[in-house]
Amino acid sequence: MTEKKMIPPNTLLAFGVVGGLVGVYLAYFLAPMNPIFVFFGALGAVCASVWGADVVRRVASYGLGTGVPSIGMLALGMGIIAVLFGLSLGLGPAGPLVAFITSCVIGAIIGIISKKVVGMTIPIMVSATTEIAGAGALLILGLSIVIAGSLDFGVVVTEVVTTGFIMMIYIAGGMAMLHPHNSNLGPDETQDRLLALSAEKAGIAVVLSGFASVAGMGAIAVTMLIGLFIWYIFWGKYYGFVKRDAYKVIDVGMLPTEEEMQ
Amino acid sequence: MIDIVGLIASNLIWILAIVIGGTLISISVHFIPVGGAPAAMAQATGIGTGTVMLAAGAGIAGIIAAGAVMAVNQDLWVVIGAAAVGAAVMLAATMIVATWIYAYGVGVMPVSAKVKYDPITKYRQDLYVSQGTEGHGIPTVAYVSATIGGLLGGLGAGLAYYALMKVSTLPVTNLNLVAVVSTFTIGFFFINSVIPSYNIVGTIEGFHDPKFKKWPKAAIASFLASIPLGILAVVAVGSLAAVGGL
Repeated sequence: MTEKKMIPPNTLLAFGVVGGLVGVYLAYFLAPMNPIFVFFGALGAVCASVWGADVVRRVASYGLGTGVPSIGMLALGMGIIAVLFGLSLGLGPAGPLVAFITSCVIGAIIGIISKKVVGMTIPIMVSATTEIAGAGALLILGLSIVIAGSLDFGVVVTEVVTTGFIMMIYIAGGMAMLHPHNSNLGPDETQDRLLALSAEKAGIAVVLSGFASVAGMGAIAVTMLIGLFIWYIFWGKYYGFVKRDAYKVIDVGMLPTEEEMQ
Repeated sequence: MIDIVGLIASNLIWILAIVIGGTLISISVHFIPVGGAPAAMAQATGIGTGTVMLAAGAGIAGIIAAGAVMAVNQDLWVVIGAAAVGAAVMLAATMIVATWIYAYGVGVMPVSAKVKYDPITKYRQDLYVSQGTEGHGIPTVAYVSATIGGLLGGLGAGLAYYALMKVSTLPVTNLNLVAVVSTFTIGFFFINSVIPSYNIVGTIEGFHDPKFKKWPKAAIASFLASIPLGILAVVAVGSLAAVGGL
């Protein structure tokens, strides 16, 4: 890593967890008053996605041995199961929190299994799977409340799952987490550029879920505008970072010759 | 608040079925010739994409087949049979098209670099491997291996789907139930195809590949991982019936 200023993992963890949970809960409590407030869920989803993208960046830079998309799909797979479980318990306001914690627990279990049984040698594997599972769950919760306007299990099932928008969340949300590292990896990878791309991708996911929302025209318009705004701002930032990084010449050395490879 | 313990206790047999399904999915991934990025450039044997994408594509095809059949016939063997055939057809179709592209588009012949003679056709392989590559295209043995993988993966996905459908007291044609169960099964399939892909590390050609011998590790890992996932899925699907208006 050549750059000087890096956001430490714990700051991003706090940003993702607090931002995600606060966003989901603000939407949860304010949506009954006015459905427009579901956009807080979208903001929470963006926070979670930036956090998740940073975790993917840290774990995948060790080399997963298979494509980066695998870990994004794993994150959202764990998230979906945990979210539907957490909401199905009928705990009311505790539901999203239970879903988030369940997701982290599944993530930890899968991390421990892949380390102890499969024998992966990545030192941060357990913490990374725990974090991406949590980020995946928050992302699904945030975008689900945008679409359904509520986190009541019955409403989420009929408006998000049965309509098939859950798959849109799965892929668009997964993209926001896995794509930044997949497209920025390499010796000239910089954290700020990667995170900007994640926020940009999350903006697209917010626009899509705003479009799919059943919470009324106001919620659709506000969420889509916020999504477009996030997309525009971070697309500009990302473009700026790409230009900055491209103008700087970084010597990565020559490709090794055949003799050096022996 | 729903009765979690009661739901789990009365559905132990279905949790077991889900766990077996997850283990089958995990084993199936080892049969599928995954070449990843090298195969996309025809520098390794197999199909040019990751394990997860390929296995998940087959698994989702299997779930669609199982879902379509389950609406008309609730016999276990019919449902998981349809899922197995659906997934195998999906993989076979993917591979035949990939073979056309490799043969007529890229201009390479299907050849394995891991064995000297194809175990099925007994054709010589090593002479035809281009220099600097690890084989290319999809030779007969990899094709057969992937079809077996599709059958196993579909079997696993179908079993998990069938078990979750049986957990709920809602009718099997209830759209919401079908949607929730399908979503769960797809999430479950993704998790259980990522775990073996970490076991494979990179590319695999099929059952003739030396890496195939590593499958028990992934099977145990998926078996263990599927237990909590199965419990969560059973609770969520089982509580659907208690939700009004579905």
